[in-house]
Formats: sequence, structure tokens, C-alpha cells
Amino acid sequence: MIRAFASPTSSTWPRVLTLGLIAVAIGSSNVQASDAGNDFFEKRVRPLLVNKCYECHSEQAGEQQGGLLLDRQAGWLEGGDTNKAVIPGQPEASLLLAAVRYQKADLQMPPDEKLADHEIELLEQWIQQGAPGPADDMGETEFSKLGDQAYLLNKATQHWAFQPLGTFHPPPGTNQRWNQEAIDKFVSHRMAGQGLLPSPRAAASVLARRLYFDLTGLPPTIAQVNAFVAAAEQDFDKAIQTTVDHLINDPAFGQHFARLWLDVARYADTDSAYRPDTRTPHYFPFAFTYRDYVVDAFNNDKPFDQFILEQFAADLIGFKSGDPEIAALGFFGVGPHANRAQTEALDDWIDVTTRGLMGLTVACARCHDHKYEPVPTADYYSLRGVFASVRRLDPLDEQRQPIVGGYEPAKADRRDYEQKRAAIEKKIEQAGNKKSGGNNRSVAQKIRETELAELLLFHPGGPAHAMVVTENPKPTPQYIFVRGDAAARGELVPRRFVQILDQQQSEFAADASGRLDLAKKIVNPSNPLTARVFVNRVWGYLIGSHLVFTPSDFGFQGIPPTHPELLDWLAADFIAHGWSIKHLARRIVLSETYAQHSKHRERSAAIDPENKLLWRANRKHLSIEMIRDSLLAVAGRLDRTQRGRPAMMWGDDYTKRRAIYGYINRFNLDPTLRAFDFPTPMQSQPKRVESIVALQALFTMNSPFVADQAKAIVDQVAFRDCRSDQQRIEFLFRTVLQRNPVENEIARVQKFVSFQTRFQTQPGKPTRFVDSPWPLLAQSLMMSNEFQYID
Amino acid sequence: MFAKPSRRELLQSTSLGWLALAGMVGQPAKGTAAPRSTDDSPLSEKKPHFQPRAKRIIHLFMNGGPSQMDTFDPKPELNRLNGQPLPESIKSQLQPTQRNRVGDIFGSPFKFGRHGESGLPISELYPNVAKHADDLCVIRSMQGEIANHTPGLLLTNCGHSTLPRPSLGSWLLYGLGNESDELPGFVVLCPRGLPTAQSRNWTSAFLPGVYQGSHIDSESPSKEIVPHLTRKDIRVGSQRGQVALTQFLNRRHASLRPGDERLESRIHSMELAYRMQTAGTDAFDLNQEPGHIRQMYGDSIQGRNLLLARRLAERGVRYIQCYHGAGQPWDHHGSIVRNITRMAAESDRPIAALLTDLKQRGMLAETLVIWGGEMGRTPTVQKIKDPNKVGRDHHIDGYTIWLAGGGFRGGMTYGSTDELAMAVAEHKVPLHDFHATVLHQMGLNHKQLTYRYSGRDFRLTDVHGNVIDEILS
Repeated sequence: MIRAFASPTSSTWPRVLTLGLIAVAIGSSNVQASDAGNDFFEKRVRPLLVNKCYECHSEQAGEQQGGLLLDRQAGWLEGGDTNKAVIPGQPEASLLLAAVRYQKADLQMPPDEKLADHEIELLEQWIQQGAPGPADDMGETEFSKLGDQAYLLNKATQHWAFQPLGTFHPPPGTNQRWNQEAIDKFVSHRMAGQGLLPSPRAAASVLARRLYFDLTGLPPTIAQVNAFVAAAEQDFDKAIQTTVDHLINDPAFGQHFARLWLDVARYADTDSAYRPDTRTPHYFPFAFTYRDYVVDAFNNDKPFDQFILEQFAADLIGFKSGDPEIAALGFFGVGPHANRAQTEALDDWIDVTTRGLMGLTVACARCHDHKYEPVPTADYYSLRGVFASVRRLDPLDEQRQPIVGGYEPAKADRRDYEQKRAAIEKKIEQAGNKKSGGNNRSVAQKIRETELAELLLFHPGGPAHAMVVTENPKPTPQYIFVRGDAAARGELVPRRFVQILDQQQSEFAADASGRLDLAKKIVNPSNPLTARVFVNRVWGYLIGSHLVFTPSDFGFQGIPPTHPELLDWLAADFIAHGWSIKHLARRIVLSETYAQHSKHRERSAAIDPENKLLWRANRKHLSIEMIRDSLLAVAGRLDRTQRGRPAMMWGDDYTKRRAIYGYINRFNLDPTLRAFDFPTPMQSQPKRVESIVALQALFTMNSPFVADQAKAIVDQVAFRDCRSDQQRIEFLFRTVLQRNPVENEIARVQKFVSFQTRFQTQPGKPTRFVDSPWPLLAQSLMMSNEFQYID
Repeated sequence: MFAKPSRRELLQSTSLGWLALAGMVGQPAKGTAAPRSTDDSPLSEKKPHFQPRAKRIIHLFMNGGPSQMDTFDPKPELNRLNGQPLPESIKSQLQPTQRNRVGDIFGSPFKFGRHGESGLPISELYPNVAKHADDLCVIRSMQGEIANHTPGLLLTNCGHSTLPRPSLGSWLLYGLGNESDELPGFVVLCPRGLPTAQSRNWTSAFLPGVYQGSHIDSESPSKEIVPHLTRKDIRVGSQRGQVALTQFLNRRHASLRPGDERLESRIHSMELAYRMQTAGTDAFDLNQEPGHIRQMYGDSIQGRNLLLARRLAERGVRYIQCYHGAGQPWDHHGSIVRNITRMAAESDRPIAALLTDLKQRGMLAETLVIWGGEMGRTPTVQKIKDPNKVGRDHHIDGYTIWLAGGGFRGGMTYGSTDELAMAVAEHKVPLHDFHATVLHQMGLNHKQLTYRYSGRDFRLTDVHGNVIDEILS
């Protein structure tokens, strides 16, 4: 292929010149100038633009890359992110021409291949003539306004999520029972508007199971179910209130609810990368203190605003080394850092702050103004200025990461830890300044990162530190990075809150990062997002569907609430009751809305197939944590101990503690967790989803963990005391499924038992197979859908 | 045959194209990206956007960065200038890569021959692959972004050099679902460990976790295609009885709870799981292959790896990625002559066998085989003390990959590098274009395959990507 050179001797030159002359001729004739110009544009310029530019710069292609549209006058006159594209009459000053001439290394258009010389000449002619056209200018359209922050910020003044919390008086409920609690009034009223009726209350036995699972993440025993049923027969209101109080004050409540928060906070015990030479993760030996802090916060009903303040700035509001609250800073500390530029860590902090707490997708405004939301790129960099003025301490640093109070290891554990530690220290000392052969890294350092870090991470006798962030000596001045490129400095932006929530744009304290100012802005009751977002999360956790279907996106792109007044009422009530999460949870589970049965009704389903209006309770699938905890619980082996270091969830040496204490390897997320939709902790997670894949069934069929629990059930004294097969069958149903078997189930199981008995080898003859039908039956029940769903 | 004109072609076909199309193309659907399937299970098969040419991909990943001028991009000028210093003006164009030890011009010590009817030039390193010259579509103008392994791997696999983004395989599963009822749809085979960048190469990132690749160490004795595939302490009969009982309970449970499709799906998924136990074990049992087939691939790590890949492809696995080995075995900073000879020798026969085997089974037309690394290598020596142990440094401006089958035109080269192999001379192919083209062959429009996350629609090609029509048959 002949390379074209930008020279007037090129063979294409005369042709372009001719075209130009024709155009000029037309332009100067008596025909109306604009018509001629339009004609020139449509016949000559437009086809070129269509061919070479519209793929990325036109509404029809749905693309306005770099913010530039070339399908309308306003598009090229106003230009894109970089500058005006066309200055009529001044080709040399027009960026468009510079771009197609490949004059600048960082702006060469079209990117695939330079235009032919005659095409460039044509554009020059067109601009020279005053860039006429197009004939039917589309002007401003919804599409062209994408990314127009003045427009979006103005539009946002009408958007529901940015309105102050409304003070809505609940409308009358549709019947007496539904006319007591505000929640029920809102919900039944909304239903009535659509011709829907609420469902009757679930049976007390169903409700018992639901309450236990929803509030503690654990199944009731059949005795607890029966006690509730009996009490509810006497006095339903009293029974449910007593049970709810009991459950909400059980430490299991915090252990279960903490998980809701840890998904948002992308909690893990390791970093996002792996050390190729030692083949170990970058451990976070002290992440667990943050997890414990979260569990305790829920159990102690720490006011949510205080909870946020501590997570942002515990060190700045008076907490010191030795205080349990200092662990709160792990909210930032436990995020993914390794192998990522500081830029990425800051991006994560901005994202978890804005999406996690306020449902704002500010991280999208890193390279340009948000296309769809009222978030100018200056917002991103205002917050970046805050976080760039903060640094995370080395997760392995035992000197500077503060001590977390409240951990008193047992003497024996402490002694064992000290012995093991001494042995490792000795190895480190012996390594001296030795470098390892492969990559010249210090051998001593490798031991610290592996053996020592593992000891600190897993040994119960080890010290407890907080994964903190700390202030830099001086705040970092933050400039906007044009198109997200750190080398392209834009204007200096002060550290301050996002514009849409702070019209004044008052600057944060000059001598500090502004973490505390930021946290105060977030939890200020005048900020309507924080309470709405959190209330919606708790609602979703308990009800099984959210009022706002996109829990981390309350912007234009999010889905508006199904019950806007209820959401506001709950948020206001939450704030009015001192941001009490227990109060909020109690409100929800004591409602009739919550207590409905979950049965399908043809007529209602025809009107509202997705149950958006809550005409029945949602049947909920247990999370993998709840499945694991339940398996241990029904086997009678669950260890409910609170606090402490992570432990392995599966494998030969699995812990019998609750899954919240399981070791989460961010780099290599456990395949079982992954198969059950445990969210990858690389980013803040809005909510869990339920997928149905064969891997889940394989887990219940073949995992040694499940088989173990099945065996443990039949090792229980109560099982061994059973006198007949019928009793054994009943015992297993009652223990695993918290109900009695019905007749045809007993018959079917008896068939199974006699079938399995045929496989049995002679007693006393050793075999590697599970021979007894009973653990097999117990496991069958554990494999069932009934075990995994809450009606 | 199926041939869909690109939007650009349509636009070109008429001067009023932009008007005619305004109504046809319309607004891209926001947030309704993945093609719809008949049910809502995330892995059930979905309709592609249009008729696909390829049903599956076997990606042979020469991780480390194979040298293009020693394999598929002959540069006689380098041989002519061998040993001469690179002119300073050209040298400055090189990205400062590893320790910046840019040495003299380094002509390839390997002879190139012309192969097949097409006369495709291939070096003596790949004598067996060369027999398939007429099936290879060689792209010599690949353009990377950052000349190092991790960014190169992430860009090649996930479309972004630094940020966590879903991998090509995850996008394929998201867009097309899993063809196999019994095996995972995205399998990564890497013998003896993990490649550089590890599981980030097959991450589903923000896509649901079920779309993540399943990594298998194909040399591990206890390899299990999926976790918990088998259980050793239970008789087949016992387990069959157990599953039957559970399904009895499940059906009763579901019948009392009409209107909840999930319960039916779970019943179905347990049956599937039961079948997977046998199918998954079978797929890995190379002893089920006849002797002459095993011989053709060779009883070597690469031979077993690629034979396994074929068995998985045959069973409907959508995307199979075969890394040459753990770390970055094709990273030849030193002793390149010895090392690349060894790497090529290890992979030549298995790759040729794979192509032969796919062809004889009539699978090549629908199977896209991709060969390549995360970058190429410099036309100059990377200086080290011992002149007998020289290698080549990283290079991203114009490296080579090839594709075979799956509707790509065989026996052709596309794009070129300049005489000194310093940069792309013609038809630069950024990875986004490669991705757009691969997705296109799988029946997916890369602009429509989007996922709403964190407030915006993401796609594999971000805001880039062009389908390269010229290399499609």
C-alpha cells in the first residue's frame, strides 16, 4: 500500500480542489447561502463523517465518545471534553482538523487509520466556509444532554432520591389488622390501589422458622417452633413480640446482620493479589478485628450514624490504641490494595463510600463528568482529595497498627503462640540479609509475609491490631485528572462533599484530610440518601426484596422505589429513633406485611407477578453462610463463640464456628462460596443474588462437610435412643426440617431404608462406604429444597 | 452462507445511509444486554444476537510473550542488519521496558519457509503447525498497551490493562450460556500451577460468579473439573437412592408451593449434578482415547493438555483456555534461541495434532483456535553479560497471533510491521478489535453485550472495538 504524504503534489489534490471550488462557487451564487452550505455538508461532508466518525460520535450509533457529537451543529461547535471541535472559518484553530491531521500524539482521529489527504482537505474547506449544515439540525436531544452536568444537576432537583425525607402520614390500612402499623398501612393501601389483597398470616410454625432465620441466620429447634406455636395460640401479638425481643438480643443477631454490612464493605482476610514467589496471598492478619467490630456494633445496637463516624474517623473522634472502636477504621483498611496503583485503592474508597453509603455512583465520574447522574468529575476529585490525604498502614505492621481492646487469649493459647512466634523469629534472624535465589527478595521478609503472617492470622493466642488508615502530615492538593489521566492536570479542587448534596460546596477543614467532615456530611439527617439507602438494605435483608431494587444506585439509572412514602417514613422513623438498627428490624418483622404467608395466588400473581407490592411474603433461599450454619446447628455441633480469628470453613480441619468467622481469601475466593453467590469482595456489593447451578447440588451431595454433619446427627444420643425405624425417621425430620414427616413420606423413607439396607455388608466387615441408611437419610433431608428455603 | 454486513458497510452502501439507519439502529438498549434465554437460569443457553460462525473457542495461550520474528513474522531486514546498533531515532520509540537494556539488532536465527498453497511464511520452529498453513489467519499487527505481563494478560483476557473487568470467557457465558448440561462452560487448563496474574485472567469481576472460569491444573493427579464432583465413600447405588429420595421430597415440596419456578429449577439442577459426576470424570479420562489419537498428540504435558481441551470442546465447553504452563514460560529475556526452541518443540506437535483432530471430526469449522501470547518481543537483543545467552525484551507494537477455524480466513496474513519490526505499519489491531471480532464470530455484537453495574453499562470492549471484516471468511 502506498503511504500518502501530506503534500500538495499528491494525486488527490486536484480533485479536492475542484470539489472545493464547486462548493465555493455554489456558496457564492445567488442561491440562498445556507441552502448551498447545507447542500455541501450533506453531499460531501456528511458522507465522510458517517463513514469515518459516526461510529463513535453520533446519536444513531448511541456513542458520543469524548463527549463529542458530529451529527449536529451544537455538537461540533460546543465540542467534547477536550475543547471546541470546530471554530467556523478557522480551520487552523479547529481541534477537529488537528485531530484528523494527527498533529498531536494524544489526539489522532479516526484512531484506526488516518483520513486520506483529500478527505482532510474537504474538512478544511468546510470549516473555512463557516462549517455550514446540517440541513435538519436535530439540536439538543435527550441523548446529547447525557453528561451535561448543568442539565443533570437541574433535573436532579426533581429526582426522588435527592428530595428531603418527606413527612408522610400513613394512609388508612385496608382492614383493621392492617391499620395498626405504619408499614402495613402503606403497603395495604398501595395494594388496594392495584386491586390486590394481602395474604393471610403464615402458620405459626412457618413464622417461627422465618423469624429465627431472618433475625439470627439459624434454624429454630423443633422445641422452639412448638413453643412459639403454643404461645401464639394463646396470644399472637405477645408471642411474636417476646420471640422477636429474644432473637434480636441474641448474639446470633449481630453475627447474622454483620454479613449484610460486610458485603457492602467488601470484607476479606487477604488482599486481591498473590505473591508468585511464595505462592501465598497478601494476608490481612488483623482484618478480623473489623469484622468483630461490625458484629458487636449490631449486637450493641450502635446508632448507625455513630457507626459511620467511627468507621471513617474513629481516630479523630477520640478513640485510641486499646479501644475496641479503633478497629472500625478497617472499613477502609480491609479494602483491596495490592498490586494496584494508589489510584485504584482510592477509587475503591470513593466507591465504597458513595455507592455503599449513599447509592451514588461517583466512581463513574473518574474520567469525565458522569454521563447519566448529577455527578461532575469535580465531585470525584473532591473526594479523592480526602482519601489521597489518608494512608493505610502496612497490614503486617505490628508496631504502628493500634491494639484493639477486648481480646484476652487463653493462657495456653498465648503460650503456644509465643513459642511458635519465637521459632519463626529465630528463622528470620538466621536468614539475616540473605536474598532468595530466584528474585533477589529478602528471605527474612518472605518469612514475615508467609509464616509469621499466617501465625498472626490464624493463631488464637496472637495479638489483635486494627487495620487503620491514618492522616498524612499534610493534606494533598488534588487536581482534576482530565480523562482520568494523572498526567493531565486540570483545575485544583478543594476537599468537600458532592455537589448534589451540598449546594454551598463548603470546603473541609484545611489542615486535615476531611474524613471526619465527610462522615458528618454523610450522616447529617439533612442528607436524605444515607438513611434511605440503609433502611432499604435492612428491608431487603428481612423481606427478601428491596423497596429500591438497586440498593447501591439511587440515581437516575437506579430503579425508583416501589413504595416511596414508606421508604421515607421508615428512614425518618429510623433517624427519629436514634438510628437504631434493632428498632428498625423490630418494626419490620412485627408488621403484618412480614407475617403474611408466602403462598402463590393466581389472581394476584396475574396483576403483580414479581410481588413488587408485597401481596405475599417472599420465599427466601438461604445464603451459603446460613446453609453452613444450619447444617452444623441441626447436627448439634454449631459453636456459637463470638469474636476471634478466621478459620477454615471446609477441608479436613474445618471450624464449627459460624460462617461469619470463616476465612475469606479475596484473591482466590473459595469455590463453594462462589458457587452459592457469595459476592466477590473486590468491590462493594449491592445485594446477593440467587443462582441455581448444579455446583450447589454437588456440594450437598458430595461435600465431606455435609456428609460429616449427616453422620453427626445419627451419633446424637437422642437418635441412638430411638426405638424403631419410625421413631428414627421422625427424629431426623424433626431435627433437620423442624417438622414431623407425613404419612406418605414415612412410607417412602421406609422403602429407602430397606433399599439401602440391602447394600449393607455383614456386620463387622470393614468397608470404605457409608453403610448405614441413617446418615444417608439425614443427608437426603439436608439436600432437600425444604432445608434451603424459608417459606 | 451467513454474512452480516457491518454497520459501517451498511452506512457506506448508500449516501443516505445515516438517514435510513436512524430508524433501524435506534437507541442501544440500555441495561437489557444479554440475549434472552427461555428460562432465567444464569447458565441456560441463550440466543446469540445473530447466527454464529463459531460455537466454541480453544485459546492456546503462549504465556510470556512469544517472539513474532522468530515464528510467524519474518524480517529479513533484521538479518541484514544483524548486530548493528539501532539508530538512536528508532531506539527512542521503544518503550522503556525491563531495565532498559536495549541492545543491537537481532535477526532471527530461524529459517522461514513458505507453506501450503497460500505460501504462508512460518519458521522452522513450527514444522508441524506449518502443515496447517492454509488454515491459519495470521495477524501481525497486534497492538498492546503496556509492555509487561500482568497488564498484557489482563488486556488480552479482560479488555483492560489494570482495572478488574470480566474476562472474555465470562462474557461469553453471560451472553450465550452454557451449551453443556454436564460441564462448566469456561475451563482454564494450566499444567502445574497458575499463570502470571493468576485468577484475574479468568475472573467474572462484577458479572455473577457463575460465569467465572474454572481453573484446572491439568497435570494434577486429583484434578476435579468442579469442586465436589465425586465422593469416594458412597456406593453408586446408595447415592442414586439418596438422590431419588431427595427428589421425591422436593417434588412434594414444590407441589405444595405452586408458582415458584425456582423449586423446579433446583430439581432439574440436582439431576444435572448427578449426571455431571459421570460426565465430568469421563471428560478427564484420557485413557478413553484410542492409542493412535493419544500418540498423535504425544504423551507430554502439552499433548495431554490439548487432548483434554479437545475432549472438553467436544462436550460443549464454550471457552477453553490452555496456558502453556505456570508463570510465563514464553518470556525469553535470556537464552532465547535455546528457550524458544524448547517451547516451540513442546507445543508444535500437540497444536498440529489438535488442528488435525478437530478437522477430522468436522469440528474445526465451528471451533475457533487462537494462538498467541500477551505481547511480542523486541527486534533487538536484550543485553546481558554473557553474549551467548541473549534474549529479547517485551514488545507490544506489532506482535503476532493467529486464528484458525471458526469462520476466519485461512492462509492469510493481516496487518504488517515495519521492516525493523518496531511498530505496526499497516492495520493496527488493538485488543478491543480482536475481542469485537471474536465475539462477532460467536454470534454476539460487542456493543450490545452489556452489563449494568455500578450505574453504567459495561462491555468487554468498553467504548472501543471494531469487527475486522477482512479476516473473516
